[in-house]
Amino acid sequence: MDDLQFRRAIYADPNNQDDDAILAQEQDPSKKQFAQEICQLDEKIKQALQVPVPDDLVDKLILRQTLATHQVQKRKTRVHLALAASVAIVGGLVLNFMQFSSAYHNLGDYALAHVYHEQGNVANNASSQVTLASLNQKMATFDGNFSQSLGKLLWADYCRFDGMKSLHLVYQGKTSPVTVFIVPKNEQLSFSDSFNDEALFGSSLEFNRSNIIVVGDKNESLGAWQKNISEKVSWSI
Amino acid sequence: MMTKQVRYEALVKALHGDLYRYAYWLCHEKQVAEDLVQETFLRAWRALDSLKDEKAAKSWLITILRRENARRFERKRFDMSEYEEASITDTKSVTTEQELENHWLRDKISQLPPEYSEPLILQVLGGFSGEDIAAILDLNKNTVMTRLFRARNQLKEALEAEPVKRGIYNG
Repeated sequence: MDDLQFRRAIYADPNNQDDDAILAQEQDPSKKQFAQEICQLDEKIKQALQVPVPDDLVDKLILRQTLATHQVQKRKTRVHLALAASVAIVGGLVLNFMQFSSAYHNLGDYALAHVYHEQGNVANNASSQVTLASLNQKMATFDGNFSQSLGKLLWADYCRFDGMKSLHLVYQGKTSPVTVFIVPKNEQLSFSDSFNDEALFGSSLEFNRSNIIVVGDKNESLGAWQKNISEKVSWSI
Repeated sequence: MMTKQVRYEALVKALHGDLYRYAYWLCHEKQVAEDLVQETFLRAWRALDSLKDEKAAKSWLITILRRENARRFERKRFDMSEYEEASITDTKSVTTEQELENHWLRDKISQLPPEYSEPLILQVLGGFSGEDIAAILDLNKNTVMTRLFRARNQLKEALEAEPVKRGIYNG
């Protein structure tokens, strides 16, 4: 290690413990003396750097932290409360949404689903028959009246049509029962005047406060049913 | 199992002195140094969980303090315009010869350009190695060693050029 290198190394770090530096000091007394000089200088620098630290700094630091912690805790409880409230509101909304929103978007889809659901309950050639009088009694709920029967009424009762109280009528059809729904108007399901799938066809008639939906197989003339309904149903205001 | 509070207080007690001195040498003002240390420890408290290795605590705190100091310049660019070199060292009455000597040397250290004085303070006061200083200051180690060399070299030359006190310092 030459002199310049040595000096640089010692200046950069007076406590240099590299093997090279130690060896150089042992071999050359002048280097050793130089290193000691710089160590002394460093000691002086160290003393000069020891500016007095304020006595109360520790207390201040701990006090400041304690106050900050206190504030944070206060803020945290408020935040927790707000969080809990938000969760409750969101929970309520979700529950509300799940319970009261429908999975179907229009009358037709729902009507078809409803018909399929109850398809097996009434056979087309069943012997039971509902009288016009008892039908009109039920129909009074919807402020409507049948002047004449539309055909052989096999079954009539209230049902839930997507959560709305409606009247579910099953008539004898040509090959399979024809279903007629009387459904109060509702914003949730959009009106679709005709709809179908592979087996069933349906059409809707719009009246003042109710929709009447007819669902039957392809052998039925829905037009005739509609005409029949329009002629035979009257609405009281 | 130490609680966070106990850890914090231990950290404050062990390191507030070093940190205050370091802050003082960064800004040369007692009050500002105190504020810096307070801010630093407050931030340290909030982030205490992120300090995994207690051995790294000092360099961690110094890094926070340097960032805090930089922020001070962003905040009050106008307040910090210029200061009188003479007013920056502490003005308490000097009594002993040792005090006089320290006072004079402090003056010299504060006259060093900050890029030289900072590594020197970290090394002498903080006891950091060249690698540590390089990591804290985000420099490479060779640069740090060069700056340390220049800092001591300048101080030594200043000492030797001071004829009044020459006898004391000439080793």
